[in-house]
This record gives sequence, C-alpha cells and structure tokens, in this order.
Amino acid sequence: MSSDTSPPVEKIFFREAIARAAREEMRKTPEIIILGQDVGYFGGSYREFDGLFEEFGATRVRDTPVAEASMVGFGVGAAAAGLRPLVCITYMDFLMLGFDPLINYGAKLRFKTGGQLTAPVIVKTTAGAKGQGVAHSQCIEAWLMGVPGLKVVAPATPADAYGLLKAAFRETGPVVYVDHKRLFPIAGPVPLAETIVPIGKAAVRRAGTDLTITSHSFMVRTALEAAKMLEGEGIDAEVIDLRSLAPLDMATISESVRKTGAILTLEEGQVTAGVGAEVVSRVMETIGAVPFSRIGALPAPVSSNPILEAACLPSTGRVVQAAMALQRKKARGVNHVVAETIE
Amino acid sequence: MVHAVQIEMLRQMLLIREFERALGARKDHGFQLLSAGEEAVAVGLCSALRQGDQLLTGGRSIGPALARGADPNRVMAELLGRATGTNRGKGGRGHLADQGSGFFGAHAVVGGNISIAGGVALATQMLNRDNIVVIMFGDGAFGAGALHETLNMSASMRLPLLFVCNNNQLSVSTPRTAALAPKLLSDIGRPFGMPSRTVDGMDLDTVVMAAHEAADYVRSKQGPAFLECISYRFSSHSTTARETRSAEELCSIRALCPIDKKMGEMMAAGLIDADTKIAIVESAKAVVRGALEFADASPFPDVREALTDVI
Amino acid sequence: MIYKISVPPVAEVEEIRVLEWQGAVGHRFNAGDLVVELETHKAIVEVRAAQPGYLRQILSAAGEWQEIGLPLAILSDEVDESLPDSSETLSDLAVEFSIT
Repeated sequence: MSSDTSPPVEKIFFREAIARAAREEMRKTPEIIILGQDVGYFGGSYREFDGLFEEFGATRVRDTPVAEASMVGFGVGAAAAGLRPLVCITYMDFLMLGFDPLINYGAKLRFKTGGQLTAPVIVKTTAGAKGQGVAHSQCIEAWLMGVPGLKVVAPATPADAYGLLKAAFRETGPVVYVDHKRLFPIAGPVPLAETIVPIGKAAVRRAGTDLTITSHSFMVRTALEAAKMLEGEGIDAEVIDLRSLAPLDMATISESVRKTGAILTLEEGQVTAGVGAEVVSRVMETIGAVPFSRIGALPAPVSSNPILEAACLPSTGRVVQAAMALQRKKARGVNHVVAETIE
Repeated sequence: MVHAVQIEMLRQMLLIREFERALGARKDHGFQLLSAGEEAVAVGLCSALRQGDQLLTGGRSIGPALARGADPNRVMAELLGRATGTNRGKGGRGHLADQGSGFFGAHAVVGGNISIAGGVALATQMLNRDNIVVIMFGDGAFGAGALHETLNMSASMRLPLLFVCNNNQLSVSTPRTAALAPKLLSDIGRPFGMPSRTVDGMDLDTVVMAAHEAADYVRSKQGPAFLECISYRFSSHSTTARETRSAEELCSIRALCPIDKKMGEMMAAGLIDADTKIAIVESAKAVVRGALEFADASPFPDVREALTDVI
Repeated sequence: MIYKISVPPVAEVEEIRVLEWQGAVGHRFNAGDLVVELETHKAIVEVRAAQPGYLRQILSAAGEWQEIGLPLAILSDEVDESLPDSSETLSDLAVEFSIT
C-alpha cells in the first residue's frame, strides 16, 4: 500500500509566498531591511510585501525615491557594514542603473578587500513582458550570469519563490532574485513547514525520454504546456526548471541530456549570449555534441502593442515546432540545428 | 591645538609626502594616483575622526589611508602587490581597505563609493552605532548622479554621513570651473538642508577646525554635513597622465605647500626648532624605508589567489 | 428555478481564493446584496446578487480555490426547490461584480 509522504502544504499566491519568506526571515533576523518604491504602506507593487510594514515598521520596510543606482548602492554598502538588505527594483529594466554598485562594488568586494568585507544583499527584481512596452519588459538575467561574485536565482513557482528567497537570506554575498510579472497571478502549493530551496539546484518538473527542455521563470509554464502538446505528437519531453542561473546545476542538466540525447533551451530573454547559449555550451563541454535548439524572444524590443508583443515572445507553438524539428535532427544523427526562422 | 598633536600631524603629512615620493621613485610603482599638495586635507580630516568612524574614499587613497592610521608597511606591501598587503595584494591602491584602522575602503570607480557610503551610514544608524561615516571624493566625482542621489537620501534619512569634497580643481585635464556649475561646490549641500562649508584645503589648521565642526555636527545625529576643501595637487592626475599645467603655474602652486606652511608657522611660533624639524623629517623617512623593506621582503601572492574570495 | 454563481471573468486572473460568504445555506439574498468576496492575486472582488435568491449549496468554501468561470455556489428562487445532481446545466444567477 502506498502512502503520500509529501509534506503538508498550503496553496497561496506567488506574492504571498514571497511575503511569507520575508516575514519569517525578518522575525528571526533583525538586520534584514527592505528598500524600494511602494514597499511600505502600499505593500509592494505586486503586494509581495503585504503586512510587513504593519509588523516591522517604516524603518525596516522603507520607501525610497526612484533612484535605482543609489538604492542598490545603499543596499550594497549597508550589507557591507552589517545589515542584510533586500533592495526591490520594480522593473528589471532599471536594474541596469544599479549595475555599477552591484557589479563593480558588491560582486567584487570580497575579492578586492582580500576577504575583509562582503556584501550580503538581495536585489529582488521583476522581469518580463506584460503589455508595458519596450523599456518595461526586459529579461536581462543572462547578462548577470557571468559576473564573478554574483549569484542569480529565478523561481517559477510559489514554493520556489518562498524557498529561494529564504536561501538568499542565508548567503554571504550578493544575490539577484528575478521574479516575473506573469508569475504573480499564479497560486501553488508551498510547504507549511519552514523549507529552504538550495541555490544551485535545478528541478525536473516533468520526466521524459526523448528530449530535454530547460527553462526558467515564467517560461517553465510554457515549456510544460509544450510538453503536453508534444505528448500528442508521440514525443516525451523532460522539462527542467533551472531555478538557479548562477550557479547552474549542470549535474542535473547533463544527466538529463545524457538520457534524452537532445536539448532545447527556452527563455523569454534574448538567445544571443543568453541563458540557453551557456547551458548548451556547458552540456557539450561535459557530454559532447548533441542536437540542440535555443528559443527566446525575437531579436527586437518588445512593444506594448499586444499583437507585436505576442509575436515577439516565445509561444507554446514555437516550442512545439522547434522540439519536433529537433527530434527529426536527432533521428537523423545530425548534431546541430539551424536557427529557427520566423514567418 | 596641543603642541604634541600639531607635531604629530606635521609628521603625518611628511610621512604621506615621503611615502608617495619613495613609491613613485620605484620602477615597479604600478598605476598610482598621488596626492602631494593635498596632505592637509587628509590629515586635517582624520584628526577629527575617532576609533570606529568609517572613512571611504575614491581612488586617490594613499594619503587618507595613512592619515587614518593604516600601517604604512602593509599599505606599501599592498601597493607593491605583496601578499602581506592590507588586501592580501589583491586590491591595490584603488581598493585599499583596512578595517582595523577604520579605513572602510577606497573604490576606484569615480563617484562609485558615494552611495556605498550612504549604505554604510544607513547600517550605522540602524544598528544604533555612535560612529560617523565619512565619504571623501574629488571635484572629478562631483558631477556624478550618485552624489545627488546620496545627498538626497542621506538628508531625508538623517544619516550620520559627512561628505568631504577634496576639490583639487582639476579632473585629470578638466578644470573644475569648466565642468561644474555651482559657485562653490559646497552649495550643493544647502538645498538638502545640511550645514555646508568651503575652506582652504592648503591650511592644516583651517581643515582641522572645519573637520571637527562638521564631524561634531554629524555625531550629534542631526543628519549629514558637507565640507569642501579647496586644494592643489602638485603632480599630474596619475603616474601615467600627462601634466597639463605650465612650469610657472606649478611653481606658484608648489609655493602653497601645506607642509612648508605648517612647518614655517610652528617654527615662527617657537613650537619647533631646526633640530626638531630634522627629527620629524628623519622619522618619516625611517618609517618609509621600513615600509619598503617590509614590502620587498614579502612574497607575492600565490597564483591560486586569483580564484580565492571570489564568491 | 435553480441557478449557479460562478467566478466572474476578472481580467488577467486565472484563479481566485474564496474569502468570505456573506450568508449561510438557507439565507435569502436580495438584489444588490453582497453575496461573496473573492481574492485575486491583486485585489478583492465583490460579487453582488442582481436578482434575489436563496443560497442552497456552497461548492467552494472560504479559503478554497476556484478557477475563472467555474461554479462557486447554487441558489434557487424558492427555498425548497430540489437540487439537481450536477451544476453543469444550470443558468447563471444575475450578478454584478466590482474590484476593490
């Protein structure tokens, strides 16, 4: 007789998972503060900090002016001097303004001071297109993956939004925590017991044998929808949720591709020098040449125009088409896939 | 000021001058930003700092680090890339840091340390510490947005942060009046409601007094303050940058030497005699010789240090 | 006649959590009465009856989740009308909803 050994869970919204993690950690660790626009009384742009202002007050949950460069600088400096700040950058597009303090100081601090100082700061930021136009839609997490000294995580579920944030609060250096506009409407199970999701560990969301689809953030849902449709085509896809972009869990990914023999990478950001480029390169360095395909946004700014936005972003249909083409190449023993052309 | 304190400050200025001269004379001096002429700003400022106060600077860090009390041996070792340096040889001049002496650190990005200092001040306030945080930057950093943002947030949050603009009036080749609009750089503190002052950075006593006044205000937890010290650098921006001023101009600038000035004042007041002067100079030289010996006797870092303390 | 109340078509929402029913089974709602409050990821949705009816069966209790368009409860014009086995063929009770 089998019994359900999975832990008891509560079904909550993505934003509630973030608030729960922050609340638990802030109760235990007085050094944690939150800086950002509308994080205080307003409870966060997505209500992801609901209740924290009421419980912890205006000094620990602090509204700042719109000044991303110094918001990040203050967060990094405060971390170096003993606080554990979470800096909330509402749109990932504007994280670019904070790149100097984050990358030139925060990520290099431990090294440049010979270990005297480190900056345990979390920069939480929301990526993704949802009708807000070319400067409010970008997914630029790939740009950060190669920064020595910086960790980058991207939850795709409420459980990981909760668990990865708790993990981030335990780090000794800077972490960029990337969520996504289109993840906030989602609800999902989160363990009732305090649970930490380790940084650097991917999750197999769907086991399969014919090809490996790796993805992260909102696109994991697109990957899973595509996998369902591929079943109808007789293709059994394994879907891996990366969860951690730096460091990548190459052990899990490589083991999967060894089994399936083909890899399709899916991201909402650009494929050029994207997350998929890195994943595929590393897979091949580990196990040798395999047929691969990379899917991402079209190489264009993402307009707020709903027709143009939809055309730009990866759709389930594009993933299915690419996966089927990949299977045909694999069947013919061809180890490269010509980049898809969009009609 | 007490006699002994004045002699000590004179010695510190001489130490900085001699240290940088000896460093610059080495073939292996590396890429350095030197501060001859600006010693009164560093020493005068640090005279107002207490144990626990945190000093952050830009890339012209050697004078302030020594004035703050960092060990000259370990500073020289760091500048010459030795494993015994303050940063284990991995940061160099642009990132000198010495927590033991309250030199929180230099950062080589122009203006890059300003918002960092705001964060350090925020932590200081929230952790209920009583020390102050000082951010030293040049006229070259004054145009950076980070300054405006940090002035605003630190004033709004009433942070224990002292802004010290060491205005040596040249940013590499650009005269400050060509790049910066305010009549006095300290004018920028006024809209944010903080006490703001401009003083002569070539006069040690003036800097000492102004630094104490500004530091005392910040210590009273009423919020930040802004102090501008107008100075001159006697050499070009860096060891690789071309000099932009004429020989005549340099001659009249060097006549404003803060060390000669203070020395002359103290001799004229009978506080030191010729023998004491020689002793002070020799003492500084001896420390520098010791620092060079220490550095030269120290190993370079193991190549594997390239991958340590990264993440 | 028997009716159902379903989760209203709130824009950009996939599913809701039921917050609070404003009456127990057997309660008669008049036109204009608040029947149930629902929670989306962003806001609260107030569902008001646009016609009178008796609450007969709660399909999604407070704290439970339901998707857009799926049924939340069964109501009827008369308090003792017998209920069908499934809610599939029922007409929708006229309601108005607002988002706060």
